[in-house]
Amino acid sequence: MTELPEIATVDDIKQQTTSEYLIRINKGYKHDPGQFFQISLFNIGEAPISICSYDKNYIEMSIRSVGNVTDKLNALQKGDTIGIRGPYGRGYPMHDFKDNNLILIGGGSGVAPLRGVIQYIEKHRDDYKDVHLFFGFREPKEMLFKEDIESYKEKFDVHLTVDHPDDHWKGNVGVITKLLEESRVSNENTIVFLCGPPIMMKFGLQTLEKMGFNRDQVYLSFERQMKCGEKKCGHCMMNGVYVCKEGPVFRYDEVEGLSEKW
Amino acid sequence: MRARLLSKHEFHRFLEKLKSQGTLVAPVKEDIVRFKEITDVSAITTEGHPLFPLKKYFSPQKRKIFTYENNNIEEVLPEKQYIMFGARLCDINALLRLDKLFLGDISDRYYQRARANNLIIGLHCEIPPNEMCFCESMGLSDSGYDLLFCDAGENFHIKVGSERGNALVQDLPESDFQPEPIKTEKKLHNTEIAAFFENDAWKKEVEKCLSCGACTTLCPTCLCFDVYDDPDVEMNKGARITEWDSCQYEDFTKVAGGHVFRQAREQRFRHRIFHKIQYYKDQFGEFMCTGCGRCIEGCPTKIDFVEILNGMKQ
Repeated sequence: MTELPEIATVDDIKQQTTSEYLIRINKGYKHDPGQFFQISLFNIGEAPISICSYDKNYIEMSIRSVGNVTDKLNALQKGDTIGIRGPYGRGYPMHDFKDNNLILIGGGSGVAPLRGVIQYIEKHRDDYKDVHLFFGFREPKEMLFKEDIESYKEKFDVHLTVDHPDDHWKGNVGVITKLLEESRVSNENTIVFLCGPPIMMKFGLQTLEKMGFNRDQVYLSFERQMKCGEKKCGHCMMNGVYVCKEGPVFRYDEVEGLSEKW
Repeated sequence: MRARLLSKHEFHRFLEKLKSQGTLVAPVKEDIVRFKEITDVSAITTEGHPLFPLKKYFSPQKRKIFTYENNNIEEVLPEKQYIMFGARLCDINALLRLDKLFLGDISDRYYQRARANNLIIGLHCEIPPNEMCFCESMGLSDSGYDLLFCDAGENFHIKVGSERGNALVQDLPESDFQPEPIKTEKKLHNTEIAAFFENDAWKKEVEKCLSCGACTTLCPTCLCFDVYDDPDVEMNKGARITEWDSCQYEDFTKVAGGHVFRQAREQRFRHRIFHKIQYYKDQFGEFMCTGCGRCIEGCPTKIDFVEILNGMKQ
């Protein structure tokens, strides 16, 4: 491997759900929405984490406790240090989408990179037309970026759903694809961002096809275990494609023929 | 540059000269033939094929990328300057293949440093050293060495591949020798394999695979790795390590939350073969596999991917 981590200070850490925390580093990195960093803690190890912000002065990452590294990251305090290298990969080519309507479909942790996209859109609002958000979570208490999503309701067309409602939930219940289909959003001049668990992306694609979207209108983001981020360790290979470098964001027609994508 | 002639009486003296210029690595016959760092040149053998390839000298099985102490990082780079004697054309080509992965658009500094001053003295195969050899099918290039030794009874003919190599032999008598291309009895007939991705033979033939990773360990071009930290017991310092990993292990594609993308053995086996025969070729225009046969030779259940592919019908 070639890039060594640099040391960064955690400037803010906020609990979002029982297992997810939002970590902020007050340092700007030139990046595209959809890219990721390799975040490490000495003695513990390293993990690929997607960027969920878009700002020249800071980066934010939403970290879900799913293993050794992420458990320890979420136990950090303001002022603690981490190792960071990146950004890596190919993010969303936002320039290419100018003058289009945008549909962002996110499921669970898949909403995180899309928050970076939204922050980009907010900073370049005139470049894009209608923006539709379709976000789904398993339960209301697992909802990420609650305050942000409230503020999005004033600016964008927002659709929320949960699989399992609690007593207070008054919104939609069920899969995100159902909401999407019912919304009857137009496929004209429109780009779709689809980011979530494989099963959600799979059904999302079927729904979009039914709604008349072409393969080159849909962008997917894939999760793999990138150990190096530099096309060497081999872990992220999907057929012959290095997700860490050629992805994690792909236009659907680029990966349609790859049998190992799900 | 003209080929040269070295009498076998002068062979050890030549090896001594090589040894004086760096760390000499060459095949030695022990329980098996192995590449080893040489202290005594008389131990070097020109017979047989080392079971373990050269990759360990360029990216060791366990390698420190950097050490850390509190928040200070110090990169670890190779210290030795290797001179390889006795590498066969498959092993030399394997290094050329790895160069494309490790010296490409994102260069690996350790590998780059180890390769930069590396001198390679090849050994031509008059006859394939192993019945599993099938390099004739793999389009090896006659390059990548500084010198190539060819056994001719009383003498070695030495083909010169670089200025650096030439400087080592320019005082020797000239020769007109040209080595014959290597012929192997074993051949890979089906090299266009895209249509074989979905094929019943994978499951049938790979049923006996143990997912042990012997094939990837022995392969001269398999260099996938894991990354982890190795802390000192006092926890204030340690090292970040890369260690050879294997796409044959079930957890190789495991992501956060536990999902495994290549769950079935035959999917993992097929992935390696497709990387060697198709994916790499799509990217770089040549096979990643160099036909050394080690993955077949070293497989505990004797799975032979060449025979599996040869048996598939379009």
